[in-house]
Amino acid sequence: MDSGYAAYAARRVLQAVVVILLAYVFTFLVISVLPGDPVTNTLRNPQNGFTEEQISRIVSYYGLDRPVGVQLWESLSRFVTGDLGVSLRSNLPVSRMIGEVLGSTLVLAASALAVALVLALAIGFGTRFLPKRAARLLRSFPSLFLSLPNFVIGLVLIQVFAFQLGLFRVIDAEGGLATFFAAVALGIPVSARIAEVLITNLDHEAGQEYAAVARSRGPGRARLFARHLLKPSSLPVVTVIAVVVGELLSGAVITEQIFGRTGIGSLVQRSVTTQDLPVLQAIVSLAAVVFVAVNLLADLVYPLLDPRVRLGGKRQKAAVPA
Amino acid sequence: MPVNTSRAARRLLRTIAGLVTVVALAACAPGGTNTAGGSATPKPGGDITFLIDSLGDTWIPNNSSISSFQGHIWGQVTDKLVYVDENGAVSPWIAQSWEQNADATQFTLHLKQGVTFSDGTPLDAAAVVANLDIWARGDASRGINPIGLFPKTYDHAEAVDASTVKVSFTAPTLGFIPTLGYHGSILISPKTLALPAGEQADLSNDIGSGPYVVASWKEGDSVVLKKRADYNWGPPALNHQGPAYLDSITYKIVAEPSVRTAAVQSHQADVAYNPSPQELSSFKEQGYTTATPRYLGFVNGFAVNTKAAPFDDVRVRQALQHGINRDEIISTVYTPDWLPAKSFIQSNVPGATDHSTDFAYDAAEANRLLDEAGWVKGPDGTRAKNGKPLELTLYPNPYLATSKSVDELIAQQLGKIGFKVTIQAFDVVTYSSRIKVGGVPAYEVTRSFIDAGTVAGVLTDANNGENWFGLGQSDPKLTQLGAAVAGASTVGERDKVLDQLQGYVLQQGYFVPITQIVQRIYLQSPDLHGVSYNGLAYANYYTAWLG
Repeated sequence: MDSGYAAYAARRVLQAVVVILLAYVFTFLVISVLPGDPVTNTLRNPQNGFTEEQISRIVSYYGLDRPVGVQLWESLSRFVTGDLGVSLRSNLPVSRMIGEVLGSTLVLAASALAVALVLALAIGFGTRFLPKRAARLLRSFPSLFLSLPNFVIGLVLIQVFAFQLGLFRVIDAEGGLATFFAAVALGIPVSARIAEVLITNLDHEAGQEYAAVARSRGPGRARLFARHLLKPSSLPVVTVIAVVVGELLSGAVITEQIFGRTGIGSLVQRSVTTQDLPVLQAIVSLAAVVFVAVNLLADLVYPLLDPRVRLGGKRQKAAVPA
Repeated sequence: MPVNTSRAARRLLRTIAGLVTVVALAACAPGGTNTAGGSATPKPGGDITFLIDSLGDTWIPNNSSISSFQGHIWGQVTDKLVYVDENGAVSPWIAQSWEQNADATQFTLHLKQGVTFSDGTPLDAAAVVANLDIWARGDASRGINPIGLFPKTYDHAEAVDASTVKVSFTAPTLGFIPTLGYHGSILISPKTLALPAGEQADLSNDIGSGPYVVASWKEGDSVVLKKRADYNWGPPALNHQGPAYLDSITYKIVAEPSVRTAAVQSHQADVAYNPSPQELSSFKEQGYTTATPRYLGFVNGFAVNTKAAPFDDVRVRQALQHGINRDEIISTVYTPDWLPAKSFIQSNVPGATDHSTDFAYDAAEANRLLDEAGWVKGPDGTRAKNGKPLELTLYPNPYLATSKSVDELIAQQLGKIGFKVTIQAFDVVTYSSRIKVGGVPAYEVTRSFIDAGTVAGVLTDANNGENWFGLGQSDPKLTQLGAAVAGASTVGERDKVLDQLQGYVLQQGYFVPITQIVQRIYLQSPDLHGVSYNGLAYANYYTAWLG
């Protein structure tokens, strides 16, 4: 590994730390401007019948009556030492809450990405090698997938495969088949983004001279697709994959709710509705870590796919064809 | 571009077409039907799954005990000193008997012997004193809340001997004994109560003496309860002793209501909580059991702020009462399982009396009252006085799922008598920070209580009262009636005053009742039998069995 690469890596890690800290502070500020806090909101539930004096005593225990600046400083000081704090909603350590659900979301997101890639590749392959009418139909799939909300896909999949065909049980949401169908619901809209870019690039590459030469040699369709069309088309696809990670995380909020899975998405949903600041700050920071890591990974993969791309300084990034 | 149709491609297309057909046919197939017969004799064994929309927030017992969701778990894992049934009747449980002094300021509880928490600690007088103290005072230094509705007149409790507790109050507190059956008053092991809040928040550390124990739980996902084999101290009112019949109960969060009910229909679960009221009759026709128990408490209705013009005029308040067609609300938003209000407290509360004639729907009377108050109908049907339109903003209560639909219908009904009603709906967070009783002209009430004495605490601002109607203590009759309810030392004496109080509040138009509340709705497999409901509409699965 040369010194140029080391400097590049150090610069990227530093950028990542700044992004994560900014995300942490930004989340704090956004939640702080909202009215109320989770403790007061719970205490003000009319069922409680608390007096104002009782409410203010409890709010004071949580330090929520102190100036926002003081709260931010304390929270940030804790964060840099690796302490994510305690949830205002559940009173459990945030690290424990995230640790309990992270695995489930990673499995769902990875499965959904796999489903999305397989679908996108199948669509890409089909548009090149199926009969004209079928290929034209396939070309409309990405737009169709994009316009299908994943909660609708999820509800239909549950209705058909869980309730009618009995292939999985909704109360065992982490089971293999349940995870597969959740991944399908989450992966379909994501596959559209990848397929759109892939189709455009495949069209572009298919029109190149080298592709005509390769075709004239008479390789099989699969070989022609994989070696001569897919590989040069995959650089922008890698960029898109790095971008759709965000979509996977946001889509998980809905998908996990529909399929009854307990993951980061459902934790976000519960924390947003209750303004659970420490949990939200930790999750936004975690999302920032994931984004930075995935983008870094994408940058590192580029030179492997296209030798024209060089790290550090003059980088020739393949443009996404219009 | 190669366009030849290959055999493989044709095969792929055929497969896709076949799959689509299967999916489409399956989607059109009728839902699962239940043909189970069931036996009338209870039998031990079996596991049930209860699907619920949420499992609330924290599990610190005091902080969570008012949660509409967590009460389900606490009800199986813990016991209470007394049992209160769905008609408000109080009967012995861990307290076998009790007595009170003449002015209801001192109570003596005699405890059942041999009761233990699941950690082996005896549930004796010392444990009860520890629980009473934490319910009444909480522990602010540890972030433990008191129980909001526990009598504020609590002074102290002492253990006279291992099975006798003496409890003292600073003023007559007739509601003390019924409050011991409230869903907040759950008996927890003193070892748990001594833990820091962070450890109490782990449900596995929360030890009760109930018929079930926590086998496992996952925050935001599920709680699994297992039967306690040596349990033998259930409430005599439930006519069952010994351990529970069912081996386990799994409470699983499924946020989507349609998924919850479809899971019961496809035999993947046994109970779905909170299905939509409109679907209940269809489920009944399919053979499922539905339950809509009413809790003890206030009816759903509006506490009117008499400080906010034009509701400072009794005729306008009365017009509001007479302008609401409750039968139409029940037939449109609910089902016949819901009942119109007869007072401002639910009719199953002991001491509730029928005052429905005071606020019966009568559009002609409502129009007459508004005419008399000087509100003149304009060409668009809206009334105005001195150039000011007759306006009302309603804020649907987010704690009641049907509140917005009900308010929309009320807006139409009041529109017919000349009100211009607007609806502003907020989520729970915004609602709880912006909308307060006394801060808006009409505050929509949904609140349970276990003893009618609670009513005295909301009427005026006397003794830190909630002052629902914005009157302070300016209405001497209301203040006097409230004080009489709070200070009564016998139930007979209190019931008489309570009847007068209900009549007065309703005749003055301080409260506009809508319907009696059903806040907990259950859809249940026909295989599940023997379920009963307590005074707070929670299901008791101690007596339930599968057959």
